[in-house]
Amino acid sequence: MSLPNDDNLSSHSQLSSHIFSDLLDSIIVDVASECHRIARLGLDRNLEEEEEELRLSAQARARVADPSNSGETNSKYVVDIFGQNHPPVASEVFECMNCGRSIMAGRFAPHLEKCMGKGRKARLKATRSSTAAQNRYSRGSPVSAYSPYSTSTSVNRLSNGTPSVAGEEYSNGTLEEP
Amino acid sequence: MSSRNPSYTSPNPCKHLADYKLKHGLNGYNLIQNYIKISPHGRTMIHKCKSETPICSFCSGYKGRLYICLICSSVSCCLSPDSNHALFHAQSQDGHEIAVDMERAELYCCICCDQVYDPDFDKAVMCKHILRLPRTENGFVGYCLRSSKRKRLSFGVDLNSKDAKRLVSMRDHRSKSCFPLGLRGLNNLGNTCFMNSVLQALLHAPPLRNYFLSDHHNHETCRKRSSERLCLPCDIDVIFSAVFSGDRNPYSPAQFLYSWWQHSEDLACYEQQDAHEFFISILDRIHEKEGKARNTIKENGDCQCIAHRVFSGMLRSDVTCMTCGFTSTTYDPCVDISLDLNTNTPSSTNLANKSIKLAENTGTTTLAGCLDLFTRPEKLGSDQKFFCQNCQERQDSLKQMSIRRLPSVLCLHVKRFEHSPIKKMSRKIDRHLQFPFSLDMSPYLSSSIVRKRFGNRIFAFEGDESDISTDFEVFAVVTHSGMLESGHYVTYLRLKNQWYKCDDAWITEVDKEVVRASQSYLIYYVQKVLSHQVSEDLSCVPVSPRGDAFVPIAGCC
Repeated sequence: MSLPNDDNLSSHSQLSSHIFSDLLDSIIVDVASECHRIARLGLDRNLEEEEEELRLSAQARARVADPSNSGETNSKYVVDIFGQNHPPVASEVFECMNCGRSIMAGRFAPHLEKCMGKGRKARLKATRSSTAAQNRYSRGSPVSAYSPYSTSTSVNRLSNGTPSVAGEEYSNGTLEEP
Repeated sequence: MSSRNPSYTSPNPCKHLADYKLKHGLNGYNLIQNYIKISPHGRTMIHKCKSETPICSFCSGYKGRLYICLICSSVSCCLSPDSNHALFHAQSQDGHEIAVDMERAELYCCICCDQVYDPDFDKAVMCKHILRLPRTENGFVGYCLRSSKRKRLSFGVDLNSKDAKRLVSMRDHRSKSCFPLGLRGLNNLGNTCFMNSVLQALLHAPPLRNYFLSDHHNHETCRKRSSERLCLPCDIDVIFSAVFSGDRNPYSPAQFLYSWWQHSEDLACYEQQDAHEFFISILDRIHEKEGKARNTIKENGDCQCIAHRVFSGMLRSDVTCMTCGFTSTTYDPCVDISLDLNTNTPSSTNLANKSIKLAENTGTTTLAGCLDLFTRPEKLGSDQKFFCQNCQERQDSLKQMSIRRLPSVLCLHVKRFEHSPIKKMSRKIDRHLQFPFSLDMSPYLSSSIVRKRFGNRIFAFEGDESDISTDFEVFAVVTHSGMLESGHYVTYLRLKNQWYKCDDAWITEVDKEVVRASQSYLIYYVQKVLSHQVSEDLSCVPVSPRGDAFVPIAGCC
């Protein structure tokens, strides 16, 4: 039994190199065979259309990002297609269906919350079950609890930490107190 | 977008294959069936002799590609361009042109030097698969032999476009006539953009719109009949009437909000909320109300309430034991599909998917990529080992989702958040998602996914007979801008091929490009046959809403 010397090592590495390239060739032809079948049977999606979609998407993003494009101004201050102007906070006035008072549309939700006894203070008082707490969300989060099916990537839930008002605002910058 | 046949096209055989079939029929296939060996992963190979490695009968070599002749079962190698003993064999022996690739059990024509296809051969391979597979929980439901004749039921379209036109136009009395009906701003009542954005999408979902506009749920008659005073479908009907009345002043959905808060205790609060959650909540409330009011369960268990008739589809989940190949299949209904964003991690299992590679190279995330991710076989973690009934123990498993039945209106929910367990916080993913205006869902159907699992053999799989077309057109996109905790929702509507931005009370016209570049959160697609995207001439026909001119629409959406 000879000790491993340079010759043995190089023939070993040559051998493993050969085996590796055989394996690699085999895998490459496997993939080619699979793709051949997909193409011949017409199972591949229309690649040209997809390339076109990607191109359109990239073009769109470039155009929209271009600062020289007037693009979209903050549409809260523009005239809509019917030629109408609207104030940032909806000014229509109607009667609250719970208490009968006249309320301005843009402040209806906070009013209704208190009116129906569903306000933050009302909630803090009431005893809450743990499931109710789990279902509640922190504001504005694009997070959903309603997973219609379970997948292995679990549904993300944000725990509603402090029910504080800090930072709660409209996108147009007005800060609303509930 | 071409309406792609969800199934395959059987390619024409080469002359040599055709001659072979004429002479030998299925004999060779039946014999080779005995040599087929299937690994637990579903890989099909030809194994001639269990104890020996196959070698070429010419050179005794084992390198290159090995082919077994269908006539004489001799094995030849192909090491092109250096040597091609398979060709040699075919040239020296008359009639021995057709062989089978031993690595993948594919037919090969040695003279054409090309892979060829024959449905009868694929059927023989599939029979072996079926016989060898342990019974699934549902028997052989997933993999049974069926005739390849496909029924084509004409899908009961809710209304043809003439009726729809009449419906939509009859309410228009005062509209500024150059703009489509049903376009009306919704006042923000205080952090209610999440609600307004989804309402705009629902108002323009063709089957839902047609249902309410044709008085299938009349809020006046309903209140009289029902003892309960709360009826969310009634409030929705009121909104439809208001929005399609022709009045263009922004509408305040206050009654609706009040009603919804009375129905949904846990969501009733003045806070920014999640639009997707709201969408699901509304469908639940409609289902509750309609489920009680009528006998809404058909024999096959499908709920017939309008929410489900429009949005409900069926998902299939296959869990496969990696040791023995036993697959357990379950079906679950769904009203939408939540998709994880396909971030740029190249996947080694997606070698054959050209478009993913293309997108990843250009650094974009695409809807097709997300759908592929959704239907990709996924190895369940070692903490989620599945109890295999065949092996009678917990084994590593692969899970794969697919769509068994598509809904009329498909809502795709983009999960734009990621949770870091380390930092114990979530953040929003602002990454742009490319989505097509025309979407073909056929690659994600159960029939396509199952077929792919078996090597795309030409075989009639269950679910090939599909009543519903797989072509969809986008009609509404709900977008979100801002952060996880506070942001703003805006909906883009596509009416008669023009896009409109619905930002609470403000309705403006926008370019397609703005929509393409937007940050989509909920994308609503409708089956192409139900959409009315071609330009129509909506001439006002003075028809009374409940007059006889109406064709009674039974059993439609």
